[in-house]
Order: sequence, then structure tokens, then C-alpha cells
Amino acid sequence: MDLLPSDDQTQIVDTIKSFLAGEAPVDRLREHGAIGNPDAALWPKLGELGFLGLGLAEELGGIGLSASEEMLVFREFGYHLVSIGIFGIVLGARVAAVAGDDALRDELLTGARRVGIANPRGAAAGPGPDAQDYHLFEAADASLVLLVDEQGAGLLAREDFVDIESVHSTDSVLTLERARLAADKPRLWVARSADNIHSRALMLLGAYAVGLGEGARDMAVDYAKIREQFGKPIGAFQAIKHICADMAMRSEAALCQASFASLVMADGLPDTDFHAVASKIVATEVAMKNAAANIQVHGAFGFTSEANAHHYLKRAHVADLLWGSLREQRERILTFPTPA
Amino acid sequence: MNLDFTAEDKIFREEARDWLQANVFKERRPHGGEAMRAYDLAWQKCQYDAGWAGVSWPKEYGGMGLDLTRQLIWYEEYARAHAPDNHLCFVGLNHGGPTLIARGDEAQKRTHLRPILAGEKIWCQGFSEPNAGSDLGALRTRAVIDGDELVITGSKIWTSHGHLSDMQELLVRTDPDAPKHKGISWVIFDMKTPGLELRPIEIMTAPNHTHFVQCFYDEARVPLANVVGGLNNGWSVAMSTLGFERGTAQIKDQIRYAFLVEQMIERARARYGSEYITHDELGSRLAQLRADMAAARAMTYMVVSRAQHDIGGSLASLMRAMVGDVQQRVRRLAFDIIGADALENPEDDDWVYFYLRSYAQTIAAGTSQIQRNIIGERVLGLPR
Repeated sequence: MDLLPSDDQTQIVDTIKSFLAGEAPVDRLREHGAIGNPDAALWPKLGELGFLGLGLAEELGGIGLSASEEMLVFREFGYHLVSIGIFGIVLGARVAAVAGDDALRDELLTGARRVGIANPRGAAAGPGPDAQDYHLFEAADASLVLLVDEQGAGLLAREDFVDIESVHSTDSVLTLERARLAADKPRLWVARSADNIHSRALMLLGAYAVGLGEGARDMAVDYAKIREQFGKPIGAFQAIKHICADMAMRSEAALCQASFASLVMADGLPDTDFHAVASKIVATEVAMKNAAANIQVHGAFGFTSEANAHHYLKRAHVADLLWGSLREQRERILTFPTPA
Repeated sequence: MNLDFTAEDKIFREEARDWLQANVFKERRPHGGEAMRAYDLAWQKCQYDAGWAGVSWPKEYGGMGLDLTRQLIWYEEYARAHAPDNHLCFVGLNHGGPTLIARGDEAQKRTHLRPILAGEKIWCQGFSEPNAGSDLGALRTRAVIDGDELVITGSKIWTSHGHLSDMQELLVRTDPDAPKHKGISWVIFDMKTPGLELRPIEIMTAPNHTHFVQCFYDEARVPLANVVGGLNNGWSVAMSTLGFERGTAQIKDQIRYAFLVEQMIERARARYGSEYITHDELGSRLAQLRADMAAARAMTYMVVSRAQHDIGGSLASLMRAMVGDVQQRVRRLAFDIIGADALENPEDDDWVYFYLRSYAQTIAAGTSQIQRNIIGERVLGLPR
């Protein structure tokens, strides 16, 4: 038993870290402007480095690593506020691979195609894809749209949606549209029994939220070390120090649970669903709390769009509402049997 | 990163499970007094006689000489078997003993380790003083060298079960002129030493419930040979002790609390109905705690993982501080689930008692605020 990354895993983490530090510094969101983000340019590069098919079995055209490596990489995606379109591509490629569309799979793994994400707008999503109201994330320039629910995961064409209407996104660097699903069924569909993509999505979203919380934590801590008031760095005051300590404690809890959840999934253990949901609950809560605390530590500056603090908060809310909010996940976690 | 256990680990787990199932004490543990002492010592002796005491302690001192993974497995099975928490043995097993193993000399180890494991001696802690709590380094209890003895005068407070203990790990000031963290020594103190007087202190759980004592030392004499880790090195010796308290000693509790949350879910369902709790505020809190307990256990695994790689140290504060808060929330929710009957504090139901006890969770072993200072300064590198 060892929850720490192995040497090989650390190497993977170092690779993606240095890639994102160079190609996707968080400041890109401020420089790019209010709407949309430049992250689609990252997909082909990530494809070339093998990060899009990292957790996909070799016989399915992937790199053949486990859920744990995927978890570690999605944590870094969250840390750098990479567009949630990354979920569309990575999980979309998995749908294509398991459904047997090898051509599409290979195309997606190169990062040449964008895949948006459909998320039900209703409070309670019905079972399976249905003609109802959805939000489409990062789908404006995407020909494909990923849909994930408790029954399975599927890929739809953008044309499968009607009444598409662009709306202002709360997280303004993500494109957001309203749409109604018109297709009877997705172009490709993978039932839960064939591959539990739903739990993988929740687990990876938990990992992404871990990264969001850590990004906010580090931003707050860095600022607390340099911002001076009353003649010393504000981080010397316990009022600020303890806020930062709380952020670190919460991040540790979320990281440990994300690691554990990924291992349970990698081993195919019966508590896979439980731990994926637990990870999403813990990590999205942490992401939202740390984002709020980061704004507070930055004072008035944190309230402006000149600071990056607001991006963590808004993305944390996206992570919470994607594939079932905290409220829905809490209802769900009580339905599982006692975990081992 | 893996959840693998070796074949030997698995055999160890099965043997531990079988033995615990057959031997765990079924009688309820008394909440206080000599009856509690007798119970805790008997249960410790039972484990020792069967060869299960001190999983990670060296063999030559009566332990099993196994690694931290086996220790983790033992604690997991221990909690799963609902084995009683013999809390009187806690200081000996988790502070005094490990400190002697790390810093004691051969004679000290030979004399003191086996009786801890064998359920013969209860240890207590003599660290805090009336004017040295969070600022432990400000302690003033004096120890003056007289020949081959230390002569101790002063007072310690918040000593859990001091009136039921045989030995004490005692911090005293041996060099009043040195900077405050430099002049301290860690001493093995026999509670039968002449010159020691105890004042019992009741705690808030129930009337007549003595848990703490205040210790008064009036020229109490201790052999110099009882100093552990060298004269005036007590601060670093004490820090290694606190490290144990914030680290591996927590494993059992995590699992126990996870079980408790499961019990609470069952009890809430029985009382309020399954459908109802899913949508109720109670259900929302239960759900969050179910997730948080999973994370707490994962944090414990992380502490063990880091210890195996010899990293960690102050990082264990993250777990300690987080888990203290979570455990307090668990106890509060257990209290709330009982409803109006929580205003009764019956002898045969622990939930009210342990709810009241839970207020110690964020105070003992360094308050939550001190933990947050440690995290802020040593983990995050914020200025003092």
C-alpha cells in the first residue's frame, strides 16, 4: 500500500507540469480576454505527448496506464485551469474506443477534433439521453458533444441538438450554450456495464477539483508572503495564516481521497462508485471553499478581474454542477452499501 | 501508487482478524476509576500474552518487530472487530514507548518497554503547566541536579488519568539560564515518588468524572539515569513524541469513526425512515461525513505512505487538524440524530458521552489553532 506516486508516475507528473507551466500559465486567461480561451491549441500537443489516451488500454489504442496516472494528470489540468473541454476529448476518445469506432478514436487521440460537453440543466437528470434541456460547454467550435450519465456515456453530433442559443457563461473563459437534445440516441453509446465511464468522469472531475483547490491555495499563500500591511507580510498574522492552513488541510484531504479513489478504480474494486462520488463531493467542496478563501486573502484585489482569483471560484462552480452537484452527489452517496 | 498488500500481509491480516474475533472483550468498558484501569490493563495483557502487542515495536523489547503496513493492518482489524479502545494505555503505547524506542538508552528500554506492552504499567503525560499550554516551551517546573538525582519542584496540569498511572513522561527545566527551548529535559517519573501530590479535575462529560489531574512536585527526587536523550535535549525528545501522537496513532480512530458514521446512517434510517433522511438536512450532513470519513482514512494511508518513505514530519499536522474537526462533526451529528432524547445522558449509551468528550478533539495534543500555526509556518512557509 502506497499512496505516493511512484518514480514513473512522478516523471509523468513532472512532464505535464512543465508542459502546462510553459504552454498554459494561468495568466493566459487574463491576457486572452473575456470570452473563450486558447486551450484548444493545447489539444494536438497533448495528443502528441500521449496525454489524451493515457488511461486507455493499449489494445484500445491508448497508452495503457491506470486510472491513477489519469488522476494525477487531471489534477494538473485543474491546477492550470485547463478548459473542461479536456474531459470531452479524453472521455470522448474512450467512448469511441469502447464502442469500436477506431477511426474516430484515433482522430480524437491526436487532439485534432474538439468535443464539447452536454450537461443537463434540470435539477434531476432523467435516465439515459432524452430530449430535454442541456447546457453545452466548449461546444461552439466542436462537431461532437459528450454526454455522460449514470447509465453510460455517449457521443452526439452538434447537429443532434436544436434551439442552440449562446449565453453568457458565469465562467467567462468557457463558452456556454443552451440547447435541446433532438436525437433519439447518441451516435455512439457505451453502457455502464461495458465501461463505467460515469464513475471515471466523477473521479477525474474530483482530481481536477483537487488541482483547482491547490491552485487557489498556492496563489493565496504566495500573496500572503509578499503583501505587507502593518509593517509585515500579512501571512505572519494568524487571521490570514489560519485561512491558508485551512486551505492546505482541505487540499490534503481532497488529494488523498482522489488518490484512493483512483486506486480503487484501477483495481476494479466494488467500492469504485462510492469512492468516485466521495472524491467528487470532497474535492468540489474544497475547490469552492479554497477559491472563496483566496479571494478573501487578496482583499479588494481579489474581487477584481485583474487578479486570477475569480477564475478558480467560477471553475469550481462549474466542476460542482457538472455531472451532478454536491446536493445530488450527497443524495447518491447514501444509497451505496457500506464501503470496505 | 498502489493498494497492494503482500501475501504475507494478507496472512497476517487473516490471523489478526481470527484472533481478534475470538478474543475481543465483549463487556462494555467502564468510563472511569479503578474498574477502567483494570479493564484496560487486562485487555492489553490479553493481547500481549497472545503475542499481538506492539506490532511495530522491536522484538527484543517484547514487540513483533513488523513494519508500519502491518501496524496499519492490525489497527484496521482491531477497529473492525470493535476491540475496546484501552485509552489508559495510549500514552505508554503511543508516546512514552515510541520515545524510549527512538531516544532511550538500553537500560531505559529494558526496564520500561515490556511492562507497557504487557499491560503492567500505565503511563501518563506531564507536559502542560498552568502557564505553559500552547506555549509549551515556556514550562517552568524546575529540576535541580543533586548528586546523581534530579530534584523536581513545580506543577503539571491536564494530565489524563494521572491518578490511575504508574509512570509519567515528564518535561522539566534543567537549565534556567538557557534559551527557553534549550534548557528542558525529558524524564521518566515514577508516580509513587515521595513529594508528588495530585489534585483531581472533573471534566464536562458527567458529574464526578475525573479525567485529569494536576500534579504538584515538592522536591520529588528522580535518578539522573531517568533522563531520556540527554540532559537539556528534552525539547527535541518531546517533539518526536508529539510526532507519534499526530501520526500513526490516529489510524485506529479513522476506521472507528467511519464505522460510527455507518451506524449513524442505520440509526437515522431506523428512526426517521430511509426516504426521509435522503432529503433531510440530517441526510445531507450524513452524506458529507460519509465522504469526509473516506477522505480521512485516505489521509491516514497517506501518513503511513509518507512514513515508509521517511518523509512527512509536519505534514502529519494536516491530517491531525482535519480529522479533529471531522470527528467533532461526527459526534455532534450523532447527538442530533438521537433527537430530544439526547437530553438524557444514560450510562448504557455512549453517544451523548462521546459527543461531550469530542470537545477535547480540537484541544488535546496541540489545539487546532496551534496545528494551524504549524501548518502555516512549517508546511506553507509563511512568516512567523
